[in-house]
Amino acid sequence: MVTNEWNIVIVEELVFVLIVLPFLAAICSYLIRSGAVRSFIVLATGSLMAASALLLIPRVPFAFSPKALFGVGVHDIILAADFFLLFLILYFGFKHHSLVIKILALFQIVLMAYLEFFLIRDDAAFLTIYCDNLTLIMVLIISIVGSIICVQAIPYMKNYEEHLDLKKSRQHRFFFVMILFLGAMNGLVLSNDMVFFYFFFEVTTLCSFLLIAHDGTETAIKNAVRALWMNSLGGAAFIVALVLIYKEMGALDMQRIVHTSPAAGLCLLALALLCFAAFTKAAQFPFQGWLLGAMVAPTPVSALLHSSTMVKVGVYLVLRLAPAMNGTFLSQCVALFGGFTFLAAAALAVGQSNGKKVLAYSTISNLGLIFACAGLNIPEAITAAILLVIFHAVIKALLFLCVGTIEQHIESRDIEDMRGLYAQMPLTALTTVMGVIMMIMPPFGVLLGKWMAMEAAARNLYVIIMIALGSALTVMYWARWAGTLMSDPFAGRFRPERQPLLTWAALASLCAGGGVLSIAAPWLYSRMIIPALNGNYVPPYTVHVGILENSFGVFPVLPLCLVAALGFVISIWAVRRAARARIIAPYLSGLQTAEPGVFRGPMNRLVKAEARNYYLSSIFGEERLTTWINLGAAVLLTLLVGGAL
Amino acid sequence: MFKRMITESRIKSPWLLHYDCGSCNGCDIEVLACLTPVYDIERFGIVNVGNPMHADILLVTGTVNHRNKKVLVNLYDQMPHPKVVVAIGSCGLSGGIFREAYNVVGGVDKVIPVDVYVPGCPAKPEAIIDGVVIGLQKFHEKM
Amino acid sequence: MINTCALILAGLVAAPLAGGLVNGLDRILTARFQARVGPPVVQPFYDVVKLLGKEKTVVNVWQAFCAYCYLAATAISVVLFFLQSDLLLILFIQAVGAVFLVIGALSSTSPYSQVGAQRELLQILSYEPLLVLVTVGIYLETGSFKIGQVYAWDEPLLLKLPFLFVVLGYALTIKLRKSPFDLSTSHHGHQELVKGLLTDYSGPFLALTEIGHWFEVVLILGLCSLFWATSWIGMIIIVATTYFLEIVIDNVSARMNWRWMLGYVWAMGLTLSVVNLVWLYVR
Repeated sequence: MVTNEWNIVIVEELVFVLIVLPFLAAICSYLIRSGAVRSFIVLATGSLMAASALLLIPRVPFAFSPKALFGVGVHDIILAADFFLLFLILYFGFKHHSLVIKILALFQIVLMAYLEFFLIRDDAAFLTIYCDNLTLIMVLIISIVGSIICVQAIPYMKNYEEHLDLKKSRQHRFFFVMILFLGAMNGLVLSNDMVFFYFFFEVTTLCSFLLIAHDGTETAIKNAVRALWMNSLGGAAFIVALVLIYKEMGALDMQRIVHTSPAAGLCLLALALLCFAAFTKAAQFPFQGWLLGAMVAPTPVSALLHSSTMVKVGVYLVLRLAPAMNGTFLSQCVALFGGFTFLAAAALAVGQSNGKKVLAYSTISNLGLIFACAGLNIPEAITAAILLVIFHAVIKALLFLCVGTIEQHIESRDIEDMRGLYAQMPLTALTTVMGVIMMIMPPFGVLLGKWMAMEAAARNLYVIIMIALGSALTVMYWARWAGTLMSDPFAGRFRPERQPLLTWAALASLCAGGGVLSIAAPWLYSRMIIPALNGNYVPPYTVHVGILENSFGVFPVLPLCLVAALGFVISIWAVRRAARARIIAPYLSGLQTAEPGVFRGPMNRLVKAEARNYYLSSIFGEERLTTWINLGAAVLLTLLVGGAL
Repeated sequence: MFKRMITESRIKSPWLLHYDCGSCNGCDIEVLACLTPVYDIERFGIVNVGNPMHADILLVTGTVNHRNKKVLVNLYDQMPHPKVVVAIGSCGLSGGIFREAYNVVGGVDKVIPVDVYVPGCPAKPEAIIDGVVIGLQKFHEKM
Repeated sequence: MINTCALILAGLVAAPLAGGLVNGLDRILTARFQARVGPPVVQPFYDVVKLLGKEKTVVNVWQAFCAYCYLAATAISVVLFFLQSDLLLILFIQAVGAVFLVIGALSSTSPYSQVGAQRELLQILSYEPLLVLVTVGIYLETGSFKIGQVYAWDEPLLLKLPFLFVVLGYALTIKLRKSPFDLSTSHHGHQELVKGLLTDYSGPFLALTEIGHWFEVVLILGLCSLFWATSWIGMIIIVATTYFLEIVIDNVSARMNWRWMLGYVWAMGLTLSVVNLVWLYVR
């Protein structure tokens, strides 16, 4: 704990920058409707947040209670804002004629009022802001990856609106919500008071609603409303859990919950409900609908929802609560549920040719794996979960931004339309392939996490079978995509395409970030993840010259990275030499013509030879599997909540 | 030394592409007969690969006509150097009894350079094997 | 240190030589089954040296990249095996090679390559989970994923993991692309698929994939050897018997389609693995 007063002042300022500044910046960018000023605000806020997050690194762990903000008590602000928010949701329920949203909003208002005005007494004193290494990791992800996405959104939205031919720009609204979202996320992970947590939880729900509805089309509104009611369901579960916890413990102190095991009297049902809330946020089955529907929004929104914010709320919450669940039936259920989601979402991804849908299912799948790790609740698994959170955020953001860039260029998000994209936009295509490689191949971070997860799951028969099947399916849909991008008869010189500088900056920083973090994984483990285990778990691996090792497994990260880099250099050299070799036409039974991919068919007519990827929709199609998967997930959820009763 | 090893290996491992330009199938049956246990040309490392990208030796049977001459050239172009072409049977050599037909171009050598000619109608398997062996010696000259 | 270097060298040099010889033996035995004499045992080396000496031709420069990556990944996996590293990690690295081979084939627009690549992906989909479950079985029995500790185990694993050995057999047949699972590259190039996955790799790049395949053979036989690691004789017998059976199966069966492969292998493989794993859990 930091005792130095000066330090506390600094920390308070940093937290201010991380949480309150985005709110102020968001309001500024809403009011000042000038493109240049808005770009400046986004860039400045992003850099400030990233810098503050980095400056926070040497100062954790810390905890404090902000007394007042601009002269008003923080607690009162939060309370007022919370009711305002719930009434806003109620308003949207009326506006869009959604009975479910109305009911859920009213339910939450009533419970909130009950909790605040009848239950909570002010004598329970605890610190409202708490930051340990787990929080810090989340803050870094949100502030850096989230900011990069916002920066990329500047050129993207300009292009987007030009394309739509809008008379009146709606960008001020867009960036208002985007920046607000980042602030809310930071607030959420830094909150120790569950009421604060709940407030920010609801802010993210509302922000995602606004972002999905951004285009204002019929589908956009429909999908946004679906997102709102599904997430409100989570909110309702959350507030019920809060009431239960308060009745049990007399305080809504997150740290106390974490350190109280169910054996010591914590209500298991409350934990189960919190897990339920986490699952809705993380779009686990059967709530995948809202995340899939979120694709209608501009791509930076998907990137933000999928990588650094929103869905990460769910995994953060469960990871935070994991020590409290340790050794319970609930924990096993979470592992089972996560494993099931990992497998099911991977299977559905195989059946998709829509690139964004593949990414969406892959997100759900990876989050499932993280939940499975949290549920396994052994040190190796928790380490794996944290690693996966970090790397998934970086690489999924990269892939979404790539797909967004591609989509604006070819006006399609179908993988089949990306066939041979290398000929048109070589650099973006290569970046996307790089992203895919970082997703499925050692020595990169995601695979390091998956390796840990598998070795940790080996003692759980159901989970390991589902992870084994799921990871094979994962390889299939990623490899197919990477190959399709390169499927190109043309092999001329490498000429990077033209893109706005900010787009390149965003793609390059995320791509480099994924690579550098992978190499630095052993350092990341010993410097960031071991402290993030908070002494609740024994550090599972020893690090020796970049080799992670425990009693039953070993992953030489650094040596493998070196060898892989060597192999990469040799292979690139091979490409440069091959570019000088004789280029021949692909085999078409000798019938090929001068035009690539075209052969001379019957009656001397020219026929285009076409091959599509196997999507196996008769096995892995959405319409075939979704019902059954939802059913399975519902059974598991019932088991999870029912078992806790 | 490497050069010698490679030349030696070329002779030990000739992979065939068999292209039927429009033969009566007599020569084709004789070519396939070479693969049977009676002749077993795999003893000499010969494999029928059916893919120009992998082949060293192109065996062509039948007359070349205006339609398939493009295919023949395409296949020949797709073979990496060094490569040898063996024309088989009367038709492959000169167009045979179809030489005067309106659609016939003539022998294989009208379209691509031929290294070895194996006469016969149909050519005997022994003759075809012999032709391939002579073709292998051409690799020395092609270095 | 010297020991490590020797092992790395052994992995890089001796392994492909052994793999090539095994391939040569395979061709002779197959010929004998078909009442033929067959090529000399060093035939695979002639083939590869010849291919290395041929003209470089490519349909897409990235094919060269993928061929090198495939070779590198298979070589690294074998070296790690010789260094007695982590089994699961070795499987992952081996999968990297397989994926690069697929990406290389997909980078050509030829339908033969494309279909071959898709089928190879289905093959990966079929055998990957089985290999993972086999390593999990080994871990449950010996308490470690590290090969060193598996070799040090004082009881033959085959006695405890008989069904998982059968599962490994399925995975091997698919991995080596033997009939009935030679879906992605047909044995005989003059069939409907031409050479599938490998159709558009040519010359030196084809040679690289061939050398990579030798590494894979060694890796797979190494995995088999884990099942009787208590004595050298047992190890040799189990490896030889397994490979002999592979060749027999290869010769007596015809190629099946991918639906059958996926359905049959997952059903059989998962059932056998689960039965065997449950034994280990309840023990």
